[in-house]
Amino acid sequence: MNTINLPAPLRDELETIAVNGYPNETCGVLVGASTDGQVRVERVFQARNLNTARARDRYVLDPDDLMTADEAAREDGLDIVGFWHTHPDHPALPSETDREAAWDGYSYVILSVSGARVEDLRSWRLNGAGFVEEQVAA
Amino acid sequence: MSRATVRIPTPLRGFAGGNSEIMAEGASVGAVMSAIGADYPELLERVMKADGQPREFVNIYLGSDNVRTLDGMETQVSEGDVLSILPAVAGGRSARDRRLADIRGNVPEVSPREALELQRSGAALIDVRDATEVAQGSPGGALRLDRSFLELRIEEAVPDLDRTLVVTCASGQRSLFAADDLKRMGYSDVRSLAGGFNGWKDEGLPFEIPRMLNADARERYSRHLVMPEVGEAGQLKLLESRVLLIGAGGIGSPAALYLAAAGVGTLGIVDHDVVDRSNLQRQILHSDERVGVSKVASAREAVLALNPAVNVVEHRLRLESTNVEEVFEGYDVVVDGSDNFATRYLVNDACVKHRIPNVHGSVFRFEGQVSVFWPAREDAPGPCYRCLYPEPPPPELAPSCAEAGVLGVLPGIVGLLEAVEAIKILLGAGDLLVGRLLHYDALSARFTEFTQARNPECSYCAEDAEFPGYIDYQEFCALAG
Repeated sequence: MNTINLPAPLRDELETIAVNGYPNETCGVLVGASTDGQVRVERVFQARNLNTARARDRYVLDPDDLMTADEAAREDGLDIVGFWHTHPDHPALPSETDREAAWDGYSYVILSVSGARVEDLRSWRLNGAGFVEEQVAA
Repeated sequence: MSRATVRIPTPLRGFAGGNSEIMAEGASVGAVMSAIGADYPELLERVMKADGQPREFVNIYLGSDNVRTLDGMETQVSEGDVLSILPAVAGGRSARDRRLADIRGNVPEVSPREALELQRSGAALIDVRDATEVAQGSPGGALRLDRSFLELRIEEAVPDLDRTLVVTCASGQRSLFAADDLKRMGYSDVRSLAGGFNGWKDEGLPFEIPRMLNADARERYSRHLVMPEVGEAGQLKLLESRVLLIGAGGIGSPAALYLAAAGVGTLGIVDHDVVDRSNLQRQILHSDERVGVSKVASAREAVLALNPAVNVVEHRLRLESTNVEEVFEGYDVVVDGSDNFATRYLVNDACVKHRIPNVHGSVFRFEGQVSVFWPAREDAPGPCYRCLYPEPPPPELAPSCAEAGVLGVLPGIVGLLEAVEAIKILLGAGDLLVGRLLHYDALSARFTEFTQARNPECSYCAEDAEFPGYIDYQEFCALAG
């Protein structure tokens, strides 16, 4: 099983964004480094959700924000290692829609958020046709 | 020609020699990408489609601008420009995902092995895929109830609302929706097979390729298929069954046509006669142009015109003690449409010997009667013809149709009632006319029912009776009285 290291301050940061964004979906970029199935997240970014028509259950991460995050990561010798998004009132399981757009080699962190709190945070990695869960460590 | 830096995202670096950046030359974005492709074809394949455009989930940036907002792949590249390949990130959940998540909170999912264990301990495994999917294979012993008809048919298949149900489909999504509906219908313990039939097969669990109706049969018998008393299983039974018609005359005509139409797979027809013009007042298997033709051949033509799938077995002979064994071989039900006592006794005796049901009918002027003689019936045996009529009436009291006359419609009605009984026997449906004789009087327009008991002393069908053998039936009937 792959492991993703998400230090507590970064996790808190994600949870705050998720709760503030509720009931809409929020999304963003995970920046860090990855070696041999070990992913270490160093920074998290929020990106705009371009799907305003269905902001409650869909997201299209603004590619300009991704470009900015990539630029910033490279300046610090880091890489984009994955993405995160929220599932308002919905389990932290990847949906069919998530799977269709996913790439092999990135971590996909999903936060299940309901009202004032984050219920669950899980991370997934595409492996061919399906997602496999990876362990989230602090 | 300009030299540009191309930044490679982490997941694609394996296809770019492990590099995070590659230098390449080209006048346009498209040309630079092509130049990269020359060295790293696998990288290019993952970024670009065959038509030279970026793939759906790829964005290419020139500096801080998405080339989709510039001139696309035609965008000019200057010396020292930086191109970035980035994923287009999207997702979320559809209305379907949300609904499935709700259902998962209510319907437990089981693994293929758990499903098999549940099935072995009495749970009903219900395959809700459609007929074309099921034709490719279905878990062994599953009840196959197409999702479209699930709510309409489940109670027939599983009357006990407290029986555990495990619902399966191809991948485990439709089964969740179906399971949710079954819970709403009142089934108390409904589960969904995670991974569906695909997962079941992957685990190497037992499955079968069920016998199914083809598309033509499905259309032809569609009015049967919607009735739970017939359904696909019943229709398959009819298609596999063999019915022997004694006589292609007034009674045999409607019986043959309707049994063929209903899809009885094999129809044996016994008759030695040829079509006479006087037959056509009632024998609707035949036609004016076939006067003089063998009745069996004429019947075959009529039956195949109605349903070419029927296997018609011709027995162009007069049924006798010497040939009855050979003729009766392999039939499930006999429909007697004979017009004389000698044949009725012979048919009775052969049916008793072979333990097959004898659907009996006879007509006289404006009256007809129908019964089913079946002493070998397992749960509720009935009398045989000899229990009621140990001996034939004297010939002068039993005139033939030629002598006495008959209303042409009457054998039609009797033949149809016999066809109905035959189909009920084949399907195992309804209450049969076993131990009952239905009498129809056309002039008074009345049906009257008579109860008939077995004769425990019957020389042919009594419990411990040894079959006495066939006799000379012509002589037996001629001597009567």
